Amino acid sequence: MKKEFTPRITSFLCKWCTYTGADLAGTARLQYPTSIIPIQVMCSSRVDPVFLIKAFLSGSDGVLIGGCHPGDCHYETGNYHARRRFAIVKSVFESLGLESQRLKLSWISASEGPKFARVANEYTEEIMELGENPTRKNIFL
Amino acid sequence: MKEFEMREAGQDKNLRAKVGVYICECGPNIAGKVDLDKIIADLSQLDDYQDVELVVKKYGFLCSGPGKEFLEEEIRSNGYTHLVVGACSPRDHDSTFMGVCKKTDLNPYLYRIINIREHCTWVIDDKEKATEKAFSYIRGGISRVLRQSELFEKPLDINPDVLVIGGGIAGMEAALSLSGEDRRVFLVEKTDHLGGISLDLSGLLPGQGEIIKNKIDSVTEDKNIRLFLNTSVETVIGFLGNFEIELVSIENAETTDIMAGAIVVATGSSLFDPGESAHLSYSESDEVYTSLSVEKMFSGEGEARLRSGKKPSSVALIHCVGREEKNYCSGICCSYMMKLAGFFRNQSPDIQVTEFYRDLCLPQKDDQERYTEAEAAGVEFVRIKDISIKGTEVSFEKMNSKKSEQSFDMVVLAPAIVPSADTEELADLLTVPLDESGFFQEVHKMTNPVGTSTDGVFIVGTAHGPKGVSDSMQFARASAGQILTRLIPGEKLIPEVKVTEILEAYCTGCGNCLDVCVYGAIYSDDSRGISVVNEAVCRGCGNCYGSCPSGALRTKHFTNTQLYREVDEALR
Ligand SMILES: Cc1cc2nc3c(=O)[nH]c(=O)nc-3n(C[C@H](O)[C@H](O)[C@H](O)COP(=O)(O)OP(=O)(O)OC[C@H]3O[C@@H](n4cnc5c(N)ncnc54)[C@H](O)[C@@H]3O)c2cc1C
Ligand code: SF4
Ligand code: SF4
Repeated sequence: MKKEFTPRITSFLCKWCTYTGADLAGTARLQYPTSIIPIQVMCSSRVDPVFLIKAFLSGSDGVLIGGCHPGDCHYETGNYHARRRFAIVKSVFESLGLESQRLKLSWISASEGPKFARVANEYTEEIMELGENPTRKNIFL
Repeated sequence: MKEFEMREAGQDKNLRAKVGVYICECGPNIAGKVDLDKIIADLSQLDDYQDVELVVKKYGFLCSGPGKEFLEEEIRSNGYTHLVVGACSPRDHDSTFMGVCKKTDLNPYLYRIINIREHCTWVIDDKEKATEKAFSYIRGGISRVLRQSELFEKPLDINPDVLVIGGGIAGMEAALSLSGEDRRVFLVEKTDHLGGISLDLSGLLPGQGEIIKNKIDSVTEDKNIRLFLNTSVETVIGFLGNFEIELVSIENAETTDIMAGAIVVATGSSLFDPGESAHLSYSESDEVYTSLSVEKMFSGEGEARLRSGKKPSSVALIHCVGREEKNYCSGICCSYMMKLAGFFRNQSPDIQVTEFYRDLCLPQKDDQERYTEAEAAGVEFVRIKDISIKGTEVSFEKMNSKKSEQSFDMVVLAPAIVPSADTEELADLLTVPLDESGFFQEVHKMTNPVGTSTDGVFIVGTAHGPKGVSDSMQFARASAGQILTRLIPGEKLIPEVKVTEILEAYCTGCGNCLDVCVYGAIYSDDSRGISVVNEAVCRGCGNCYGSCPSGALRTKHFTNTQLYREVDEALR
């Protein structure tokens, strides 16, 4: 029998917006899969490109960054930096032939509990379709 | 790496770690959704660490009075080196349990709350899956807490005095609000008098002129307010609670050093230069005036005359001059132009007044009424698509595309409100960014329009953006409110401890991180050739980390080792 595949999505959530949005999803008892592994950071800009690569190479099936909407960053411009760095890693992934869909950046505000649950569900489905991270623990950093 | 981890764990190699793990039942919210006994049993049997002793327990409501006492007693009697609490969101009770730690010998930064309610039991109905997730989540927490280090809060003495820059209505109102609560205020004005633009206005309300004059008198007589006329600000260094400021006299270059805990910027605005508009051509001798010079005529002589000394029998009031070029609406011109129309009609009841506008902006309570009155009194309102003005000849295209031309005795322009001359220089001095229109940038348009990214620096009045007298005063009071509640005489300020530091050995002094930090928290120490973080200013966002090519930065409580550990643990 084939074991059911539960993806593991390392999710870096900024303290002020997306982490709080995730809390709100909880308060509203919205359901989403166990795949989401929340890791709190103060700002999405704390997510150094190396973190994404590290999370991927350590076997995450997906890596999610959640930050405040552009213009709403608690630290003014942090999310713009996050966006730029994210874009670079994504293009590096593409040029190396890695599946760049395994990286996702999403703006989810503190009041968007339903959006958090939706992103969690949809992204999990997307990753389910992609299957397990093929590099899972095969490459070490 | 190993050694680094040991240092971060804050433990001596010989010291055995003893981690207390307390899971809150939160009534049915947690206990009813997972198999707590299984989690406790599984955690107790963990053999992840050789030298770590784990004590795992559950409790009804840890955040309750008895719950907190229980936890405090447990920490004391068991002598934990670290504490993990599996409960609700840190937003709810992180500070509650940190408070418990503070009552014991356990450093509160060697504790961690794991959010198994909001992020697990409330979102996963399947009990088995929720149990599994809660278990791995707490296990990750244990691993993370072992990498945390002790951090120490360093309360700072503060200076409750305030510097206000700019003596217009906004600056005066801020100064008076603060002095009314017994704060000392240094009020710095670059001209030789108080009042700003409002002094030249011809009065929106009857008696407005009196209000301004009364304010000037109150400020001048106020014992708490030290007034510096003909003075500007030369240097500013420091942070909320502790700014060192050098003032310089414009007359004799004499300097004065002062200290203040907060700074209110009330430097007002200027007017768009109509000469820059492609739609206008006129020379000095033409009967073309800016709204401000007409305001001055009415507030000075009480009437507006032509250069010939005659009263005009027709006036064109041109709205929105510079709006297209600047790409924003100044929001106050429509209402003051209607006010001016009224003054012209009062001085010559037969006068023909025509207002040319692109869009009417009537945001204040009684604007609509004023508009209806003006229209009823015969003021002509012409909505235009295009306009070009040559001297006092006005060619315009109405919305229905008809082109017309009309000549007037007098043309009055309402130029856009633009940032005042010193804005860029001041922004640099105070490390406050400017918005896309060049005004000082607020923290948040809706939730905190008076704050800036430099904590302790506030912006009020038209320095923040175009607004009328009433809003300028509201902004001033709002800033005073924030200052009064945050800087309390005799109380200390606890700066953020989860800040970033630069490891000297790794820093090459490239300066990349300096550009990234919006708070200007990093400066370069030229004598050592490295960059240094001013911990009192740093907010710990961690943005700079990603800009450093040599890995020299370290964000306390969110170090790489700690975050990597969390990732690894989650993926086991
Ligand atoms: C033509 C016109 C008509 C208006 N009519 C109305 C009206 O009818 N009703 C209404 O409510 N509002 C009206 N307004 C708007 C009103 O003028 C402003 O809301 C008000 O003046 C803002 O006050 P303030 O203190 O922010 O700025 P200001 O009045 O501009 O004062 C700023 C002060 O700061 C000083 N300063 C500038 N730079 C420095 C520096 N670097 N160091 C030290 N001091 C400095 C200036 O010398 C000045 O004294 C009108 C504006 C204009 C232009
Ligand atoms: S952590 Fe943020 S606030 Fe602190 S120095 Fe770095 S960029 Fe500036
Ligand atoms: S980016 Fe890194 S190496 Fe460059 S100055 Fe800042 S801390 Fe030093």
